[in-house]
Amino acid sequence: MSEWLQQAIARADSIQDGFEDQRASSLALLKDIQWPTRKTEAWKYTPLRAVERSTAIFKEESPELEPVAVEGLEFLELTFVDGQLVSLPEELPEGLTIEMQESSLFATIKPERHVFGLVNDVLAADVAVVTVAEGVAIEQLLRINNLLSNGAQGHIRVVVDIKAGASLKVVENAEGQGASLTTAYTEYQIGAEANLEHYRFALQAGDNVAIGGSHFKLLEKASLNSSIIGFGSNLQRIDTDIIHAGEKADAKLNAIYLLDGTELFDLHANVEHAVPNCTTEENVRGIAGDSSRAVFNGRIHIHRDAQKTLAELNNRNLLMSNKAEINTKPELEIYADDVRCAHGATIAEIDRKALYYLQTRGVSRSQAQLMLSFGFINELIDQMPTAELAEWVRPIIRDRFAQMEVK
Amino acid sequence: MSNENTLLSIKDLHASVEEKNILKGLNLDIKPGEVHAIMGPNGAGKSTTGYVLSGRDGYEVDSGSVTLDGKDLLEMEVEERACAGLFLAFQYPVEIPGVSNLEFLKVAVDAQRQARGEEALTSAEFLKMAKEACKQVNLPVSFLKRGVNEGFSGGEKKRNEIMQMILLKPKLCILDETDSGLDIDAMQVVANGVNSQRDSERSFIVVTHYQRLLDYIKPDFVHVLADGKIVKSGDASLAKELEEQGYSWLQTEPTEDELED
Ligand SMILES: Nc1ncnc2c1ncn2[C@@H]1O[C@H](COP(=O)(O)OP(=O)(O)OP(=O)(O)O)[C@@H](O)[C@H]1O
Ligand SMILES: [Mg+2]
Repeated sequence: MSEWLQQAIARADSIQDGFEDQRASSLALLKDIQWPTRKTEAWKYTPLRAVERSTAIFKEESPELEPVAVEGLEFLELTFVDGQLVSLPEELPEGLTIEMQESSLFATIKPERHVFGLVNDVLAADVAVVTVAEGVAIEQLLRINNLLSNGAQGHIRVVVDIKAGASLKVVENAEGQGASLTTAYTEYQIGAEANLEHYRFALQAGDNVAIGGSHFKLLEKASLNSSIIGFGSNLQRIDTDIIHAGEKADAKLNAIYLLDGTELFDLHANVEHAVPNCTTEENVRGIAGDSSRAVFNGRIHIHRDAQKTLAELNNRNLLMSNKAEINTKPELEIYADDVRCAHGATIAEIDRKALYYLQTRGVSRSQAQLMLSFGFINELIDQMPTAELAEWVRPIIRDRFAQMEVK
Repeated sequence: MSNENTLLSIKDLHASVEEKNILKGLNLDIKPGEVHAIMGPNGAGKSTTGYVLSGRDGYEVDSGSVTLDGKDLLEMEVEERACAGLFLAFQYPVEIPGVSNLEFLKVAVDAQRQARGEEALTSAEFLKMAKEACKQVNLPVSFLKRGVNEGFSGGEKKRNEIMQMILLKPKLCILDETDSGLDIDAMQVVANGVNSQRDSERSFIVVTHYQRLLDYIKPDFVHVLADGKIVKSGDASLAKELEEQGYSWLQTEPTEDELED
């Protein structure tokens, strides 16, 4: 077992609050766990050195940090700094509540197999529980900010319960400075005929280590539209689980990653079709430059009873350099016979001839790069339901890509 | 000799690809308004010359110098060379599916105008110019909407190159076998396109294997490029001679003979 994990366990032993039961069981699991190594399938391409060597500390006092502004949008802000909840919206729309209290959903949607999810179970100091009352549509976006100051360690946890027929839009926004370390897990239950529009932005490139997940349980006729957008960093790992637990649920997941330098980004997406008549559409697209490494594992598990499932998984990658690496693995496990499934993964290289051709006409290299290869990323940005978020993130992604060198 | 009145000046240029020497002491001076034809056997280094001048990745200059309008061309990025007035019509134009010809041309013209400090064209102004240029090379206007060279026939690709040249108004145009693969009518169209752009300022390097093109585009000079350097230069009549004799004389004659002008 790693020293880092031992310290985490020791700290957990000293924390007391209202989550005794679930935490106790997670803690017991953790004490028994195998620290992941290269032989652990889920961590095969993502070494944990960055965690083992992290010097990030639990700070007694944190600086004041503000989340990034997004033009045209006023969020309901739920802000954590260095793992501590520092602000809640002053006024909440009718039907929306945010409480720091026990939730029976805690640690029931996020699967136990995520090691750092267990760490988060025992270390997240403030667990926020967001509830949308039955039939209520919340128009204003709720933004969960996970802000970390330089060198800080913080663990945040949010549980979201969207009751039947309700709808909610959530943005998970992580901003880490310097050599910080964080785990951030959110669990969502989307009730019958309820609706979630979800975003997870992990745009904090650099020295930081960020591990976390967004986990969704969909009840009957629930619908989920999720966009995950990440840059790499010292270690950036996101696990997402989509669990179809009620018939006729519909999930759409679009993910984009964009890596440069020596960054590492790892997305593990797991979809469980436990019941019949559900649909999943998953588009994952990424660009890796310099000597970065992207890892994508997309598993779709169709259980024996899940007849009439419709599931599609598509992963497209672009390599900008001979030294960049992309490890992609779509996994379909199908135990039902009447289903429609498709999956595919491609890795293309930047078309150097076409770049040169465009440049000979006076087009700058960066613009040529955008013309040739930004389209497949842009398509997913275009699909983001809240246009203001698309317009905010598009130039951030475009500029990062335009500055990537062809090597 | 390079003086203020020289547009392009290549001096003792040595260049290699993948460690293989291709250009071995190339010299060439071109004045504004001149048309120089370059002929020579396969593999002599004609296309390589165009790639080196345009700054293609992997084409290493080992020694020598190239100036365009007095500026050091070899120091510039590919796109800077284009903005400085260099244009290369490719022997094998590149297909770029997913990028429309019109979008591509607009971006290119905008970039060059911006680099020269000229005002941007409105979309309407540009569209008019583009349609005009299409007409000049006999390409249906619908080609503007298609992906760059995507699925174009060989001849259509060549005409698309000339169309770009007409739009970009370069100072020095290098046409690399723009005539190969063209039917006789298309050759006439391309030649007319080129001739329409000739004036006292704009210069051309016309790389070709066939004298026929030079009947339409009358060169001021004809050079023979063999084994990485110019081994013979003359006026338009040299092209006729080559058509009759071929290149067998290259082996027998000493290579560093009469370099006229
Ligand atoms: N990437 C490369 N790797 C190795 N050799 C190359 C490469 N590119 C060009 N060459 C070689 O350089 C030499 C000159 O090629 P180039 O294309 O300039 O000839 P050319 O005079 O244009 O001939 P052609 O009349 O057939 O078009 C040839 O021997 C060719 O094989
Ligand atoms: Mg050639």
